[in-house]
Amino acid sequence: MTRTALRQGLDEAGRKALRRAVRMEWATIAFLAVTIPVVGIVTGSSQAMRAAWIEDMLSLAPPIAFLVAVRVMSRVANPRYPYGYFRSVGVAHLVAGVALLTMGAFLLIESASTLVRGERPPIGSVEVFGQSVWLGWFMMAVMAATIPLPIWFGRVKMRLARQLHNKVLYADADMNKADWMTAVGSIVGVGGIGVGLWWADAAAAIFISGSILWDGVKNTKGSITDLMDTRATTFDDAEPHPDIDRIHDHLSSLRWVDEVRTRTRDQGQFFHVEAFVRPRKGRMPRLTQLEKARAECRDLDWKMHDVVIVPVEEFPETASARSGES
Amino acid sequence: MARRARAAAAASLIVGLALVVGLTLAGCGVRPADADSTLERIAEGGVLRVGVTENPPWTELGDQPSGTEVALIEEFASRHGAELRWREGTEEVLVDALHAGELDIVVGGLTDTTPWVDEAAVTDVYREVTSASGEIEKHVMLTRAGENGFLMDLEVFLRAEGRR
Repeated sequence: MTRTALRQGLDEAGRKALRRAVRMEWATIAFLAVTIPVVGIVTGSSQAMRAAWIEDMLSLAPPIAFLVAVRVMSRVANPRYPYGYFRSVGVAHLVAGVALLTMGAFLLIESASTLVRGERPPIGSVEVFGQSVWLGWFMMAVMAATIPLPIWFGRVKMRLARQLHNKVLYADADMNKADWMTAVGSIVGVGGIGVGLWWADAAAAIFISGSILWDGVKNTKGSITDLMDTRATTFDDAEPHPDIDRIHDHLSSLRWVDEVRTRTRDQGQFFHVEAFVRPRKGRMPRLTQLEKARAECRDLDWKMHDVVIVPVEEFPETASARSGES
Repeated sequence: MARRARAAAAASLIVGLALVVGLTLAGCGVRPADADSTLERIAEGGVLRVGVTENPPWTELGDQPSGTEVALIEEFASRHGAELRWREGTEEVLVDALHAGELDIVVGGLTDTTPWVDEAAVTDVYREVTSASGEIEKHVMLTRAGENGFLMDLEVFLRAEGRR
């Protein structure tokens, strides 16, 4: 009974992509459940390793946010939540963004002060099968092992995020893509200690925390603008969403329509479009025509979850014309 | 589609494992460098500066320091052909000197619960003993932070000689 609102809204390809995305996120969580303890065990007193470890823990946030949001989003709208639960994606996105931002800032300050105080990282050795091995080699090996899978996760999620128009998934894919740089950063830092450059570790940690902070800034900004009902854009916020133009084009092609202005809310997965239509002189549409126009708009794309058509004499000031027109 | 995904996952896993095994083997026995070249400095007639604080039977102070840890350090110094210079004091004074680079090692029956982890490098536990109250004490020494090659060298020595 629950879990229907989301699925009904998607077309068959979308449902398949969503199932795939859910599987990918569970796979990511499983991967992190293995790497976080292992990285934690070998972290020792390397600042760069500690930063990378904390980033690994933080990368749990977007997959969890996505899975929770998918669950909540599936609930059907009701009198108490008349627009449904689609905004839960935005809320999840904001929480993940703020977590990244805070942790990034904290780590950046900590690493910078370690560098300034000239604290030198001590890394000892362990005995493995009767052989003494420097822990630094272990750290580098473990970090190298965490590189390939996130790159692959990131590529698949990026494709699915584009298809599903899901910004949390996009943020997660982006983070996975950045993860390998973190791993390389910590390898360089520990390698630097290995050749006697004590500052390499703190410098690498600064680089890693900078990347976490940047992720945080991007995601916090993106989620806040979405919650503020900024105009609907593509999944990567690169440009206004082309579906809005398609609504303009479709409505303008109707015989009774003189001019169209719209206001669109991006509710996370779906759009809520208010289309203001000025009818031609003496061509006031009948109710059936309005109904038909609304149904046709919704059929343009599965993202058009809710379309309201309002015949008006004067347009509201904030409603906008088709992109490229004024 | 799903098969390709599985293949990609398997490939990543194999690459990862290969990296772990490869790097670990490459790392076997390879010692890191010291930030301040302690190992080179003490070699062949250099001076090994050791802080000692009293904690029998590990360390005892008299005309000359003695005790099990003192004996271990004497052996370690002689293997490097280094001259030993002892400095007596409280733990805090000695750790400060270690942090400032005036000492290379601090001994005094320290265990792995030592609070000096931020100021000094703690060696791997080289010996476990059961105290009179039945608790297990894990014994360690302190070296100067950042001298990782020296730290590993001492650890290798303690693993071979310190267990008895």
